[in-house]
Amino acid sequence: MKKVQTLFAIPYFLWLLLFVFAPVALIVFYSFLNTSGQFTLQNYDSYFTSGKYLIMTFNSVWYAFLITLITLIISYPTAYFLTKLKHKDLWLLLIILPTWINLLLKAYAFIGIFGIHGGVNKFLEFFGFAPHQILFTDFSFIVVAMYIELPFMIIPIFNALEELNPSLLSASHDLGANNIQTFIKVVLPLSMNGVKSGIQAVFIPSLSLFMLTRLIGGNRVITLGTAIEEHFLVTQNWGMGSTIGVVLIIAMIIVMILTGEKKKRGGQ
Amino acid sequence: MKKFKWSNLYLLFVFIFLYIPIAYLIVYSFSAGNSMSGFTGFSLKHFYTLFSDTRLIIILLNTFMLAFLSSLIATLIGIFGAMNIYYMKKRTTRMMMLSANNILMVSPDVIIGASFLIFFTGLGSLFPGFGLGFTTVLLSHIAFSIPIVVLMVLPKLREMNDSMVWAAYDLGANNWQILNRIILPYLTPGIIAGYFMAFTYSLDDFAVTFFVTGNGFTTLSVEIYSRARQGISLEINALSALVFLFSLILVVGYYFISKDNMPRKNKKERKSLNR
Amino acid sequence: MKQPIISFKNVMKTYDGDVKVLKNISFDIEEGKFYTLLGPSGCGKTTILRMIAGFSEPTKGDIYFEGKRINEISSNKRQVNTVFQDYALFPHMNVFENIAFGLKVKHLPKKQIEQKVKEALKMVRLDGYEKRGINEMSGGQKQRVAIARAIANEPKVLLLDEPLSALDHKLRTDMQYELRELQQRLGITFIFVTHDQEEALAMSDEIFVVNDGLIVQSGTPVDIYDEPINHYVADFIGESNIVDGVMIKDELVEFVGHQFTCVDSGMRSNEPVEVVLRPEDLTLTDLAHGKLQVKVDTQLFRGVYYEIICYDEAGNEWMVHSTRKSVPQTVCGLDFEPEAIHVMRFNESEEDFDARLESYEE
Repeated sequence: MKKVQTLFAIPYFLWLLLFVFAPVALIVFYSFLNTSGQFTLQNYDSYFTSGKYLIMTFNSVWYAFLITLITLIISYPTAYFLTKLKHKDLWLLLIILPTWINLLLKAYAFIGIFGIHGGVNKFLEFFGFAPHQILFTDFSFIVVAMYIELPFMIIPIFNALEELNPSLLSASHDLGANNIQTFIKVVLPLSMNGVKSGIQAVFIPSLSLFMLTRLIGGNRVITLGTAIEEHFLVTQNWGMGSTIGVVLIIAMIIVMILTGEKKKRGGQ
Repeated sequence: MKKFKWSNLYLLFVFIFLYIPIAYLIVYSFSAGNSMSGFTGFSLKHFYTLFSDTRLIIILLNTFMLAFLSSLIATLIGIFGAMNIYYMKKRTTRMMMLSANNILMVSPDVIIGASFLIFFTGLGSLFPGFGLGFTTVLLSHIAFSIPIVVLMVLPKLREMNDSMVWAAYDLGANNWQILNRIILPYLTPGIIAGYFMAFTYSLDDFAVTFFVTGNGFTTLSVEIYSRARQGISLEINALSALVFLFSLILVVGYYFISKDNMPRKNKKERKSLNR
Repeated sequence: MKQPIISFKNVMKTYDGDVKVLKNISFDIEEGKFYTLLGPSGCGKTTILRMIAGFSEPTKGDIYFEGKRINEISSNKRQVNTVFQDYALFPHMNVFENIAFGLKVKHLPKKQIEQKVKEALKMVRLDGYEKRGINEMSGGQKQRVAIARAIANEPKVLLLDEPLSALDHKLRTDMQYELRELQQRLGITFIFVTHDQEEALAMSDEIFVVNDGLIVQSGTPVDIYDEPINHYVADFIGESNIVDGVMIKDELVEFVGHQFTCVDSGMRSNEPVEVVLRPEDLTLTDLAHGKLQVKVDTQLFRGVYYEIICYDEAGNEWMVHSTRKSVPQTVCGLDFEPEAIHVMRFNESEEDFDARLESYEE
C-alpha cells in the first residue's frame, strides 16, 4: 500500500514544491531586486522612508478594519437570528447563494446602482435630494466590499452558534441566568471562534481586493492589493511589487496569529 | 397567528440587501434601454446580442473547459495528496503537511497571482517557447484547486473505519483492489464535493488569472472586468441573469451532495472570497 | 400528610400535535427523599424531568411546587437544579467559574461565592480543584463538578438526568454510594432518571416505573421487586420466570399443568393470570423433593452464583440462580416456597393492585 501511495502522491509533492514553496521563495527573493535586477535593500528602504508606501499601508489596513468591523456588526445578529429559524439550512443556503455569483458581476451591479442616474440616486431624488456622486468614493468602496464579504462573516459565526451544545443553554437557565446573562456569559464567549474565523475571512481579502478599488473606488482607495497589481502589471517594477507582497504576507500572518485558536484553559 | 418578531424584520433587511444588486442586474437585462438607469420597456434584445457575440461565447466555452480540466486534474492529484497526509505516521509531520497544504488557501489572490507570474516568467526564460497563455492559466487553476480537494477528502478518510481496510487485507485483497474497491468508493462523496468546489473556484477566479494570462487567452471574469471598466453594457446583465440561473442550479446540486458529506463550509467560502 | 414539594396533576405532553410523550401523569414527590424515574429510553422519563426543571411545558395538566402552580415559571426562577447527562459544563470556564456561575448571576457577594464554591467542592470531594480547566478533568471528576455546580445553588430539589451513564462500571457503583450519601447529608429531594434497574434499586427511596408515557408502578425498591404489578415491570426489573396460569381460588394457582399453593388472593376463581418466580427463589433438588421435574440444559458461571437454564416436561424454560454447581443433562427436581410465587392479574390498575395487596397482607 505504502509504495503505491507514495508513487501516486508524486504529483502532489511536485505541486507543493513548485506551486507552494517556490512562489513564496521567489516573491521574497524578488523583493530584494531593483528594476535592473541587482540584489539590494533599496525596495525596503523606499518602503519605509518614502512615506507614501507607509501611508498607503496604513490606509489599506484602516479600510480593511472598517470593512471587517461593519461586516461583523451586521453579521453577528444575522447569524444568531438565523439559528433560531425553522428551516435554517435553507435560509443559510440563501446566504451562500450570492457568493456563487462572480464577484465582478456583483461589483458591476453596484456600478449601476451607485451611478449618477442609478437606483440609489433615483431613490434619493424621490425624497427631493439632489443626485450625488456615490460611485468612486470611499463610501461606495466600503459598501461593496462589505456586501461581498458579508456571507463569509455570517457563515462561520452561524456554524459556531450551531455547534453550541444546547444543554449548555439549559444549564445556564437552570442555574438562574436570564436570557441576557446566558447570552453574555455563555453564547458570546463560545461563539468567539466563529467570530475569529470570520474576521480572518474578511480582513485579509479586504487588504487585497484590487478589482474593487479599480471598478468602484475609482482609484481613490489604494489597497495593498491595488499597489501590487500596479507594480506588477502597470509599472512593471516587480521588485517593489514583491516588497509590498511581503508586507501583505506579514500582515496576513499577524492577523492569523491574532485570530488563531489559542490553547486556553478549558478550551476544546 | 404568528407573532411579529423584530429579529425576522432584521433578517428581512439583510436578505434584501444581499439580493437587491442581483435583482437589479437581472431586471435590467430585460430592459429595452442601454443603461442601468431607468427601465425603458421589456425586451430580450440583450440576450440576442449575447448569443450572437461569438467572442463572448468562445470565452464562455473556454472558461468552462478550463474549469472542467483544471478541477479534474486537481482532484486526481488531491486525492492522493490527502491519502498521503492521512497515512503519515508522525503527528508533527502530518500537521506540517496540512499547514503547507493550506498555504494557498489562506494566501490573498494577488500574492498567488504575482508569485505565479514570477515563477512562469522564470520558466519562460529557461524554456523558450513557454509563454503566458492557456497553459499557465490551467496550471495556476490546478494549483489553487488542489488544497480544497485535499480538505474535502481528508474528513472522509478520517471518518473511514481503518479496520475496514484491515478486513479487506484479511480477506485477501491486494493493494490495488483495496484502493479501487474499498477506499475510493468510500471517499466518493468527498471527491465529488472536492471536484465541485474546484470547479466553482476555477469559474470564479479573477485575480490569479488576471496576473498569469497573456494576451491570447481570456476567461469570463477577466472579460467582464475589462468590459465593466469601459462602462455599462446590458449584455453583461443578460449574462448575469444566465450566471445566476446556473449558480442556482449549482447551489441546489451542491446542497444535495453536501447533505451526506458535510464539508467545511467556511473554508470554501473564505477562498472563493479572494477571487 | 405533609404537603408534597412537587406534584403532577394529570400532566400530558404531545409533540407536533399528535406524538404523545406523556399520556396522563399524576404523582406527588415528598421533601427529602431519593426518587427514581425508571424506564427504557423514549418512555417519557426525561420529559418529566425537563418539566420539573422548566425546560418544557405540559400540553395539559398542572405542575405544583410547594402547592403553587408553576407551569409557566421559567427555569431560571425555579428552586430546582439539574445535573445533565452530558454534564453541560461550560468549556470556557474553569471549575471555580462553573460552580460559581449560578451564584454570580444572582449577584452574591464575592466572599460568599468563594465560601459556597469551596463547600460544594468539599461535598463532592474535589477540594483544591478550583483552578482546573474542564477538559483536564476525567469523566468522573466532571460528573462531580456538575453535581457541585448544581448543589452550590442550594436547590430544594436536585434533578439528575442519567448522570452515571457515561461512566464505567466500577466508577458507576462508587458514585451510587456517593450520591445516596450526598442526598442524605444534604437532606434535599433528589429525582434521578435512569434506565438501569440496578441503579434504581440500589439508591432510591421510591421508584416510579415509567413506560410508554405512563407511570406503571410506584413504590419502594423492595415492593417493586417483590410484587411487580404486571409482566412489563417483572421483566424490566431483575431476572424473572414468567408463565401463564389460572387462579383456581384464593391461595391456589395452577401453572405448567400443576396446582400450587400460594399466598395471593382476592381474584375471581378460574381467572387467567401470569405467575412470576424469581430465579434466586428456585432451587434444584433431587427428584423426590422437587415440585417440578426439570432437565438441566446449560449453565453459566456468574461469579456469585451459577445461572442455570433448565426445561420442565412441558418444555417451559426455567432460570435458576444457585450457588451450587449442577451438571447439564441431569434430570432433577425444581423446588420453591409458596411465598416465591407472585401472581399478577392482567390489566390491573395500580390502585386496585395496592388495595388487594393490603387486604391480605396482615
